[in-house]
Amino acid sequence: MNASDSEEDCYNERTALVQAENPALPSYRPEPEQAPPTNAEPKMQGGARRGGSPVLDGGEADQEADVDDEELTLKYGAKHVIMLFVPVTLCMVVVVATIKSVSFYTEKNGQQLIYTPFTEDTASVGLRLLNSVLNTIIMISVIVVMTIFLVVLYKYRCYKFIHGWLILSSLMLLFWFSFMYLGEVFKTYNVAMDYPTVGMIIWNFGAVGMICIHWKGPLQLQQAYLIVISALMALVFIKYLPEWSAWVILGAISIYDLVAVLCPKGPLRMLVETAQERNEPIFPALIYSSAMVWTVGMANPSAHSERPAQDAAPLWEGEEAEQSSAGAEPESRPSRSYPADEDLEEDRGVKLGLGDFIFYSVLVGKAAATGEDWNTTLACFVAILIGLCLTLLLLAIFKKALPALPISITFGLVFYFSTDYLVRPFMDSLADHQFYI
Amino acid sequence: MNLERLPNEEKLSLCRKYYLGGFAFLPFLWLVNVVWFFREAFVKPAYTEQLQIKTYVKRSALGLLLWVAVLTTWITIFQHFRAEWGEVADYLSFTIPLGIP
Repeated sequence: MNASDSEEDCYNERTALVQAENPALPSYRPEPEQAPPTNAEPKMQGGARRGGSPVLDGGEADQEADVDDEELTLKYGAKHVIMLFVPVTLCMVVVVATIKSVSFYTEKNGQQLIYTPFTEDTASVGLRLLNSVLNTIIMISVIVVMTIFLVVLYKYRCYKFIHGWLILSSLMLLFWFSFMYLGEVFKTYNVAMDYPTVGMIIWNFGAVGMICIHWKGPLQLQQAYLIVISALMALVFIKYLPEWSAWVILGAISIYDLVAVLCPKGPLRMLVETAQERNEPIFPALIYSSAMVWTVGMANPSAHSERPAQDAAPLWEGEEAEQSSAGAEPESRPSRSYPADEDLEEDRGVKLGLGDFIFYSVLVGKAAATGEDWNTTLACFVAILIGLCLTLLLLAIFKKALPALPISITFGLVFYFSTDYLVRPFMDSLADHQFYI
Repeated sequence: MNLERLPNEEKLSLCRKYYLGGFAFLPFLWLVNVVWFFREAFVKPAYTEQLQIKTYVKRSALGLLLWVAVLTTWITIFQHFRAEWGEVADYLSFTIPLGIP
């Protein structure tokens, strides 16, 4: 792969976590007294839900309903947290396992992406810092441009273009990157492999992946493929981003994410809102959803729940044709279970943008690659999961699209640097002096 | 995609498309077909389209077994005779192990 690979792409991620509203469930009130037979109380969350579900015993006091709703929110919230922990953990495990075993991804041979043109091989610390900041500025601006481009395309309904772009990106990821990955794994384990077999493996992997992600396929397989492509993308980032630039880029991307999702004129937010207005499903290959919601064409305009929040710009810029990777858009939205859809499944699941997966894995992978030992890696891993929990908690409180990167990445960065530079020498020193605490 | 929510005709159509797709050198697709539609075809109580789905699943399984046999044979032959074949083997090799003839 030569240095002009512009593989990497911009990631626009919009990691937005959108709170799923709990589907309204009829509350069962055991007390017999009752209340007016009208079931009514419009639940605060949401409106009418299963419209007809008869309230079993009388009406409930609004307060009880409210309490129930809150409990339901929390109950769903906790379940959703677990539903997201597993894929995020799997992605990180794959990345760390690869980094530790296949040396290809940690070898730096001077090749860099064209998005990070400034080299870090300089003598002075100041110059190196300056170069990494410049690299970050370039990378972030590319990402911003791509995001805005995507929003514009989406607004003007150029769906074909977007679909083509996404398909090209996923093609690249599923075929080319996995081919490289497989080659490196075989070389690491010194296994002989012939072209016909490899061809069959890659062809099957890629074709079934395209079918699952872009068309219809079993949910678990689709989730597995999304995890795998996030891991591949993260590995490519880890290989091709220079050291300091990677850390600065991680920080900058979190800030960008925060701005883009929460500011009223932020591109991601506009994208989300446009998608919501049009009540459209989000593009595949950009969002990981933990459960598929099926709506039978409910006319309820508030049923955007399932729409996965369409994310913002595909991360990868497809300019260089070969390299687009399916950008994971960080938009994640737990589907809102809007009421009034009787046919909607109860368990809406949570959606998280693939960009989030990728950047979490980049952080943990870099910690594994350059941190001194496993403590650092584990600390970063825990930090990211804590960040994810907190983000989901905020999601439960605010109930709208939220960026999933900032909190986790901040914690991750803090934990990485503090563990690597403070905790580890401290532990080593204690061990040296045989002083156990 | 949740099969539960699809009407039967669509299930049949999906099964058929997966079956036909597998002919493009895609035994993995057949595997997915078998695993995914297994419950639909054999465990669920009968419905009109189930018979056809069963046929597709069975044929996919058959095709899958065939491919597995072919690939296993080829891989065994290649790994065994790679050293002896000399140049041809090198030409066919994607990775050549170091230190082993």
